[in-house]
Amino acid sequence: MAIKSKNSDSVGDGLVTFRDVASAMKGERVLRSSGYEVKLVAPPAELRLGCDLALEVNLVEQAGIERVFTDEDVTFVSFTPLSTHSSPMCDIVKVTDFGQWVMIKCGNMKLSFEKATGKIVNVSGGGCPDIPYLNAEMVDKTLTAAPHPNELGYTLCATMLERAYEEALNIYNGDTRS
Amino acid sequence: MMLLFGTIPDKNLPMTYGQVRQEGDYLYADGQRFSRTQGTGAMISAALAICNYFKLDPPHVLVAGDIGDGKGTRDIYKYLTEHVVELAPAVITMHYSLPIMALLKKLCDTIKGCEKRPFMIADAGAMYAAKGAGLATEFDIFTPDTSEIAFLADPQATHPAYISHHLLACDADKIPGQIADAFKNNSAAKLLLVKGKTDYVAQAREILATIDEPNVPTLEPIGGTGDTITGLVSGLVYAGMEPKNAAIFACRTNRTAGILARPTPATKVKDIIDQFPVVCRDYYDAWNKNVKIL
Repeated sequence: MAIKSKNSDSVGDGLVTFRDVASAMKGERVLRSSGYEVKLVAPPAELRLGCDLALEVNLVEQAGIERVFTDEDVTFVSFTPLSTHSSPMCDIVKVTDFGQWVMIKCGNMKLSFEKATGKIVNVSGGGCPDIPYLNAEMVDKTLTAAPHPNELGYTLCATMLERAYEEALNIYNGDTRS
Repeated sequence: MMLLFGTIPDKNLPMTYGQVRQEGDYLYADGQRFSRTQGTGAMISAALAICNYFKLDPPHVLVAGDIGDGKGTRDIYKYLTEHVVELAPAVITMHYSLPIMALLKKLCDTIKGCEKRPFMIADAGAMYAAKGAGLATEFDIFTPDTSEIAFLADPQATHPAYISHHLLACDADKIPGQIADAFKNNSAAKLLLVKGKTDYVAQAREILATIDEPNVPTLEPIGGTGDTITGLVSGLVYAGMEPKNAAIFACRTNRTAGILARPTPATKVKDIIDQFPVVCRDYYDAWNKNVKIL
């Protein structure tokens, strides 16, 4: 699917689509006032849902942008990579059993916890600045007491870590119920 | 001078530039204190260990607090873009940072004005930005892990979260093909050090070396054990090793430190870092006899 070719003054690699113009304009305003570099653009025909405005954003900032939208009550439809033949977000989860511990890998993120206690013992992978921060906030806490990555994170790495965290929680809850 | 660039997960840390030193579990530069145990801090600690062993000046660091909102990232890019010509670093290693392609493009344009081009290494967010912006070939070394080499091999992905599923799901024996694709797509630095169960060192589409011993599976869950490899290879290049040999030594050093630390998935990276001086002292002479490095 050819979406749009990037031009020299593009600000990012993703599009946020909205159902109406007012939402798109409000989205631009709240993001700019929060320090994000965004640009209103015409969405390609394949992505039009009635609104003829979309926001070009830096896709890696998706989690932070979603939080601003939630806080400011902005309704959006979706985030889409601004490239041809783009893939949907990774949803492959791999589980590695280390005996006393389990490691969950989702995309480029890994979370390991102790089976008996649910204590998160390590977070690894990723390359965005919120990952070391999430490591500091989550490690040595239990899965049930630790903050969710999507509560504190801003980036796609945090979104991947959230998926690993949710899988870890499912495994831990399954283990404790059995 | 070696310059290490990256963000620190402390929103109260202002932009800081200066020579780094370690004291206990902390690093210090220009009067500021920050942790050595996370991301950029682990990378810096590893590079510092190598500089100490070779009796080199400690690295300079350019760091700022950033918890993911990109504020610290923007500060350090602005400072480096404005000052890189006068600082004239011999080696620049760029690490954890928000992958903002426009900022990296501006920096790379400015670097072209340096009297002597720095040796450029990137990992983490800086590597994502370099690939996404089409600037990978401006760099001398990338240090991806196995998911990140799939990202480099995917011509469309601008972040590892959007890798084509067939690339991410593939077996470890597909990594050589991904390395070849990354070079073919101009998404690789001049040398790739791929960190994994088997480490690969590749240059100009050719795999030059693989390192799979000692095998320490419990290093994979430990956050920061990839960051240390980036710091090690940075220090070794700065010490004068050929990039290929620096990459091989970095992998061996990390693995051997892993064995010495007897890690579990609950071990913290600082326990691995603390073994680097021991590895340098006890192994480097013997390794150097097999691979002439200096």
